[in-house]
Amino acid sequence: MAGSSNETRRWPKRVYGQGDEPDARFSLANERTFLAWLRTAMALMAAGVGIETVNAATSRPQNPLVTWLALLLLAGGVLISATSFTRWAATERALRTGRPLPAPRMGAVLGYGLAAAGVGIAVLLVVVGI
Amino acid sequence: MSEHDTGGDGARAPVDPGLQIERTTLAWLRTGLSFAVGSLVLTRLIAHTRPLVALGCVLALLPVAVLVGVLAVRRYRADSALPQHRQPLTGGALPAGVALLAVLVGAVGMVYTVLL
Repeated sequence: MAGSSNETRRWPKRVYGQGDEPDARFSLANERTFLAWLRTAMALMAAGVGIETVNAATSRPQNPLVTWLALLLLAGGVLISATSFTRWAATERALRTGRPLPAPRMGAVLGYGLAAAGVGIAVLLVVVGI
Repeated sequence: MSEHDTGGDGARAPVDPGLQIERTTLAWLRTGLSFAVGSLVLTRLIAHTRPLVALGCVLALLPVAVLVGVLAVRRYRADSALPQHRQPLTGGALPAGVALLAVLVGAVGMVYTVLL
């Protein structure tokens, strides 16, 4: 469990194969950030499933614009989930090698994406009257 | 449980200043719970039209959710046994697995949205 034999067993190699062990607090913070991204992704997915469920329950036929918005939210959640592990790995590698942390690209995607989704929902509420 | 109990050895000095490991474990459990609740709600919605698919989902998901919780807590125990965090922490297999699960939940959500 402990000791240097752990080095060879730890996965993924592209992270643990280089650099030195960072302060464990940094690794733990990196892990918590990864988990926070995952929860954010799941919240986006829940929002997508939620609005589509309301859509199906309240309008016959369903409003296709709401369905598209739901798919967009779900796709955002999938995108963030899919990239969160890669980002965790890149950050861990940067911590080990002492290089600068990778740029938070998903932050911009999430921020602007949520702003766009908010505008979309507002338009749907006012113009289409869902 | 005394306040110095960080995994069974009460005689050792506090190994977790700042409670980093505890915070991380709680973050894991929060994430596991969100995953469990989210997939159960989705399953309940699917059960409306496809009860058998929903039953299969529950039978597959519940053990996975329990497994994530158990692995996260074991991670905590293993890590807190390391004196002053000088030893390497656990690797990236569990994060990768949980991220994959989230992608799967999203994919199921998309299928649900399209078929509903």
